[in-house]
Amino acid sequence: MKAEVSRRKFLQGSVAMTILGGTAVTAPNLLSNEHAAKPSIISKTGTGANTKVVPTLCEMCVNKCAALARVENGVITKLDPNPLFPKSRNMLCPRGNAGIAALYDPDRLKYPMIRAGEKGEGKFKRVTWDEAYDYIKEKTLKILDEEKDNRSSFLFCAGEGMAEHTFKSFYEAFGSANWLNHASVCLQTVVSGYGVTLGGYPQADMENAEYIIMAGANRAEAIVTPDTMDLFKRTKRRGAKLICVDPRFTNTAAKADTWLAIKPGTDLAFVLALTYVVLTEELYDKKYVAENFNGFDEYKSTVINNLYTPEWASRITNIPSKEITKIAREFMAHAPKAIYYPGRRSTFAKNDFQLRRAMAIFQGLGGGIDTKGGLIFGKKLKLKTRESLAPLYDRAQGRAMGKKVKKAKGQTGYEDCAIVASGGSWIGWRNRFLEGKMPYKVRGMFIYKHNPVMNTPNSAKTIEMLKKMELVVAIDTMPSDTVMYADVVLPEAHYLERTDPVKTFGGLEPSIAQRNKVIEPMYETKPVRDILRSLTRMLSKPIFEITKKYDEMVQEEIEESGEAKVFAEFDINLPFRENQEHFNEHEVSQYPGAAEALATRGVFYPNMDKYFKQLSVNEHEYYPESEKAYTVRGGKPKTRSGKVECNLSNLAKKGIDPMPIWRKEYEYTIPEGKFRMLTGRHAQFTQSGTSNNAKLRDLMPENFIWINKRIAKEKGIEFADMIEVSSSVGKTKLRAYPTEKIAPDAVFFIHGFGEESEALTWAYRSGGNDNAIIEDHTEPVYGAAAMHETNVEIRKV
Amino acid sequence: MNIKDIKEFVATIPYNKVSIKDLLAFEKTPRNMLLAVLIVAFLAMFVIGVAIYLKHGHHAYGVTREHPWGLLIAVYIFFVVSSTGLCIVGSLGDVFGFKDYMMISKRAIFGSIVTILAGFAVIAFEIGHPVTMLIYNVLTPGFTSAIWWMGTLYGMYLTFMIIEFVFLLKNDMKMAKYFGLTGLLVGLSAHSNLGSVFGFLNARPISNGVYYPTYFILTAFITGIYLAFIMYGFRYKLKFPENATKMLVNLGKIQGLLLSILIFFVTWKMLTDVYGGMPNRAEVGVHIFESWTFWAEVILAIFIPLFIILKDMGRNVLGMFWASMSGMVGIMFMRYNLVHDTQLKPLQMLKKTEYQLTPEWVHYLPSSTEVMISLGGLGLCLAMYYVGTKVFNLDADEHH
Amino acid sequence: MARYGMALDYKNCINCKACEVACKEENGILMGADKHRIWVGTGEIEGEYPLLSIASNTFYPSQCQHCDDAPCQEVCPTNATYYDENSIVRVDPEKCILCSYCMNACPYDARYVDDRTVTVDKCNFCTDTRLDRGEVTTACQATCPTKVRIFGDLDDPESEISQVLRERESKTLKAHLGTNPKLFYLL
Ligand SMILES: Nc1nc2c(c(=O)[nH]1)N[C@H]1C(S)=C(S)[C@@H](COP(=O)(O)OP(=O)(O)OC[C@H]3O[C@@H](n4cnc5c(=O)[nH]c(N)nc54)[C@H](O)[C@@H]3O)O[C@H]1N2
Ligand SMILES: Nc1nc2c(c(=O)[nH]1)N[C@H]1C(S)=C(S)[C@@H](COP(=O)(O)OP(=O)(O)OC[C@H]3O[C@@H](n4cnc5c(=O)[nH]c(N)nc54)[C@H](O)[C@@H]3O)O[C@H]1N2
Ligand code: SF4
Ligand code: SF4
Ligand code: SF4
Ligand code: SF4
Ligand code: SF4
Ligand SMILES: [Mo]
Repeated sequence: MKAEVSRRKFLQGSVAMTILGGTAVTAPNLLSNEHAAKPSIISKTGTGANTKVVPTLCEMCVNKCAALARVENGVITKLDPNPLFPKSRNMLCPRGNAGIAALYDPDRLKYPMIRAGEKGEGKFKRVTWDEAYDYIKEKTLKILDEEKDNRSSFLFCAGEGMAEHTFKSFYEAFGSANWLNHASVCLQTVVSGYGVTLGGYPQADMENAEYIIMAGANRAEAIVTPDTMDLFKRTKRRGAKLICVDPRFTNTAAKADTWLAIKPGTDLAFVLALTYVVLTEELYDKKYVAENFNGFDEYKSTVINNLYTPEWASRITNIPSKEITKIAREFMAHAPKAIYYPGRRSTFAKNDFQLRRAMAIFQGLGGGIDTKGGLIFGKKLKLKTRESLAPLYDRAQGRAMGKKVKKAKGQTGYEDCAIVASGGSWIGWRNRFLEGKMPYKVRGMFIYKHNPVMNTPNSAKTIEMLKKMELVVAIDTMPSDTVMYADVVLPEAHYLERTDPVKTFGGLEPSIAQRNKVIEPMYETKPVRDILRSLTRMLSKPIFEITKKYDEMVQEEIEESGEAKVFAEFDINLPFRENQEHFNEHEVSQYPGAAEALATRGVFYPNMDKYFKQLSVNEHEYYPESEKAYTVRGGKPKTRSGKVECNLSNLAKKGIDPMPIWRKEYEYTIPEGKFRMLTGRHAQFTQSGTSNNAKLRDLMPENFIWINKRIAKEKGIEFADMIEVSSSVGKTKLRAYPTEKIAPDAVFFIHGFGEESEALTWAYRSGGNDNAIIEDHTEPVYGAAAMHETNVEIRKV
Repeated sequence: MNIKDIKEFVATIPYNKVSIKDLLAFEKTPRNMLLAVLIVAFLAMFVIGVAIYLKHGHHAYGVTREHPWGLLIAVYIFFVVSSTGLCIVGSLGDVFGFKDYMMISKRAIFGSIVTILAGFAVIAFEIGHPVTMLIYNVLTPGFTSAIWWMGTLYGMYLTFMIIEFVFLLKNDMKMAKYFGLTGLLVGLSAHSNLGSVFGFLNARPISNGVYYPTYFILTAFITGIYLAFIMYGFRYKLKFPENATKMLVNLGKIQGLLLSILIFFVTWKMLTDVYGGMPNRAEVGVHIFESWTFWAEVILAIFIPLFIILKDMGRNVLGMFWASMSGMVGIMFMRYNLVHDTQLKPLQMLKKTEYQLTPEWVHYLPSSTEVMISLGGLGLCLAMYYVGTKVFNLDADEHH
Repeated sequence: MARYGMALDYKNCINCKACEVACKEENGILMGADKHRIWVGTGEIEGEYPLLSIASNTFYPSQCQHCDDAPCQEVCPTNATYYDENSIVRVDPEKCILCSYCMNACPYDARYVDDRTVTVDKCNFCTDTRLDRGEVTTACQATCPTKVRIFGDLDDPESEISQVLRERESKTLKAHLGTNPKLFYLL
């Protein structure tokens, strides 16, 4: 019960301030003498006066659900789902509802700051925007001058967001080749695995599938729209059968017909065995395979000859062979309305790229591609292309990669990965930087909406890297752990305070949606576009001077055509000149009425007024059945060949298995007394971004470590005991949750807790930080993180 | 009757004029000094407890959503049961005309007034809005509410008790009898309504049913007798005169009988709880059976006194005084247990958050504020009683 | 005049607790572990890894059941708890004396104390927020990702809730207590 008590205390301490209709009221906080008063927003929605409703989009996570913000006397009192958006299907998840608490979070970054103390100390001085820009300008110029206009001496990194592209325009205009985003700690291998096999990362038609295998994805807690809604509206009722494969019992497992407790990192064996059954029993869609597969025979013989039998896989995965056979048969019986769900975060194990390929091929065997009830590619409404600026700096070096190495005869790749993807490898890049293996000096970095300290395995190394950078500029909304290591902090306006770039959402029911500003920015915050507009205005000319100084090509060009003309191509301010509203209007100008619809209703798609129907209090129809984009390629994959690629010989040239096969080293083993560390999502939190959200913490103030009940008992660990978890790279502390939902040799805790930033009143040191202990393993293809390869020790403290 | 008549009537109530000095003029024996210090300390606690409550509200209490009724409810019940008990004992003489018990009437009825006042003083700080209660109890009465009946009847009861007491003081035995009888009836129904406050709870199988309403009357009588012993013990400084001894021996015998009946009540309650096999009741019964507070209740309130009674057929009056002290402590446990046991089983047996233990039993620990207000109630009761002994002649009139 | 009730397709519930946050935001409920009008409960999972009972981990969304024969109303000494014209069980904070009797009497643990008014509060089907401004859904219903809830007028045979209750089997909680809840759990 201890934990509950502390939770009550925390909460009692947090109810002090009530903002109602713009006035702050102190509620009688009965224990205020014991706990410092913590402000928050607690207001009841009113019944009329001074009310407006603004359509906007949620930014609490990647999904961007459509919301209607209710504003009363200038205060946002409620976010409701906007039913018009086909992707979010008239819902807001708990985090979406708690967007208000994020907006009114008293810890928010409120004004620009420059570091005053040591890095990480959390000491900053408040400055004006101009002072901040000046500081950045000076440092940038110094570095660029010293690096002789090597634009790649700056790293740019960004988390996912509606304005990620705005920031990326800055990176492109600036001319660096070093770009890191969330891909290598998120979905790199799944996107590319499906990309090379099926030609794209498909969506799943959960609405019509009859049979779904969900392995390594947790849609009940890791919410992805519209999959989550479509799937769970149907489980246990309208007859979609759900097989959940996960080493722990998740809320998805709770909704499944069958839950299979797989050993971590062994999914590939499971899929190969499913494939084996399907191939040996000839259950696959022969016509589809004959028409749409490349390299089928090689793959077939590989799988059969290697004897990837259910019995073989059973030993590796711990899934009963009978189940494997049964599932293979059932899947094919329902195919093509059967889905092996691709998943999203795929930074699990070292074999992940091969796993995703095997999954994609298995899906193809049933013919469930580009078809109703299967995986679909869908349609996308085109937007007018964005004006971007990508000047060529002659002095800019290529991406700072590892050395190219010969892997075997005729095979090449890089030291730490075979292929370099555009999102890069966070771990690879960082470690190279720390180990002094950079081909040139990288001395500065711009970070947008990204928290690598919390989100990249081995936090200590990320901190080390940030400390070594001479200039770290962070654009964020919260004083995150990463922000603590910044030299300059630029506060972005909260998503409810800004209009963001209009976005098109493809799929079965394509649409365009727009985030509209709901209230004026509080404090001295600005949207990133405005930040970059001012910054680049100050920076543009002076850095061009540096280019002029070192870049002979530019010098020549100026001689030829005059400075004004050349500068026009190098004016990094250009992409940001126009304001966001105009920019958006331009982007949708080919659709009559779109701009207005987006501004007033938040969503647009052709014939929306005609198609959109409310079917019942809860259900809506967005497109008539005949207009849904189930099939856009006549059932064919999107690869260049138009075929499912089983055997990719060009991969072999890079030292990658051309076909998914099982290797001995993939087997799951664990030393006596250690536990495999698993990580993942919770429905009420988004990665590291929400742990300071008062409304969400009200539901769950900290993460707990899952330990198998019997093991806990053996070790004398009781509920809520404090546990120290340690690995070769660090340790963290959090409370114990003994449960049978996890294997005796594994532990799990929710990602995103245990911040060290003292500026986060509630998140500071509450719960444990998984990345403090996850070792920096990467998978060999892209260098994406392999997050579930770390063994840890636990100790009661 | 007009104001003048009332004034005249009041003017004829016999009482002693006492000054503060008189109040302090008690024999300074160690025992008296200790008692005086205790009373003052309790009163101080009351003030402090109330001050904390006024500042922090119910947060100063150990009560929760799952256990909304705490120690103060138990103490309130303790006092009103005491009051009802004293009313029953007092009625033996002046209402039912048992001559032997005439001598105790005035004292007992006065006792019933101070105990219920103490009870009200305590409950006033448990009910969130006592003033609202006074208003809306009248404006929008909840006739289906056992609490409404209980409160209203107790209010009437107090009025009747005061009037009865006045007539007793004035030695108007006829009027005293009328009001005494009415008061007793109202008191008994108030009291069984208090039992029904619990008995009506169909959400709480452990308390639901006819048991508490009847059991409350029985235990009230028992409480009244314990208090009679205690009051007389103090009155005569444990040197009981003959007439008092005679009455107390009789009361002791009655007590023996009542306690035996109570044993039947409790035994069958426990047996039906535990072996009745009713879900949500059987396991609560077992839990109660395993709790120390239950045994404190049984040993202190029943076994010890009964043992002493049986040993000398109730003739050991001095022993009975001490047994009654034990009995009253036991009765306090009895009230606490009643309140707590009712709420033992969570109404919601599911986990509402992932990281919690499955609700099993509702825990409750009285907070220091609750303890202070409770002891304060006791202090108030003792102080009022002491003042009463000075202001009024609580002994039977000699010429009677 | 209506008789409002709610049908819950509870087997679709994924325990995301969006409904809980939505209720707090809409109705201005204070934060706090036991200050809630609505909750989702689940039992401790049964079995030993990996042989676990999926059914034992079913999620049960819950809130005030709006009993037709509400014990909380019966026991209220001042009629602070009352049935409004739409049969919604409500609390009038003006009249509530905080005797807590209703908290003890409600078999569903649906009531709690609001620290601002220092009176008892509970779900009121968003009457004073949404219904009063003419909306036809409750906050918890509108936000739910898997659309667990159907709110509507039980007296209107054409209403969606009436239709659903005709077409599908349902149960009420602690039915044996005779409280006649107006929250129906669809089987
Ligand atoms: N151990 C472990 N590590 C993981 C994962 C895991 O499951 N376990 N998950 C991985 C996955 S899938 C992903 S996608 C990554 C995500 O990692 P990140 O891309 O770092 O995402 P967030 O944790 O959401 O952090 C986003 C940052 O943006 C800030 N922010 C929020 N809103 C805004 C805004 O409007 N403007 C600006 N400028 N800033 C804003 C937040 O304050 C926060 O600091 O983490 C990965 N890391
Ligand atoms: N509520 C919420 N929703 C979110 C997010 C969020 O932070 N919060 N983040 C969004 C983002 S950025 C992403 S990328 C997605 C992530 O969505 P998912 O990828 O579905 O979510 P995760 O929880 O990261 O991981 C899924 C599951 O994999 C299991 N697992 C671990 N190892 C293995 C294994 O070897 N085999 C198998 N079969 N399973 C394994 C974990 O136990 C976990 O339950 O969610 C998105 N949606
Ligand atoms: S899933 Fe939730 S957090 Fe993500 S965009 Fe939708 S409402 Fe917001
Ligand atoms: S919002 Fe819906 S799915 Fe989520 S917990 Fe509530 S009822 Fe369940
Ligand atoms: S659920 Fe409880 S609070 Fe709601 S009406 Fe029924 S008894 Fe009253
Ligand atoms: S606490 Fe308020 S609503 Fe509940 S019974 Fe007492 S007066 Fe009625
Ligand atoms: S109906 Fe309204 S008040 Fe009741 S639980 Fe749902 S959101 Fe809260
Ligand atoms: Mo992600």
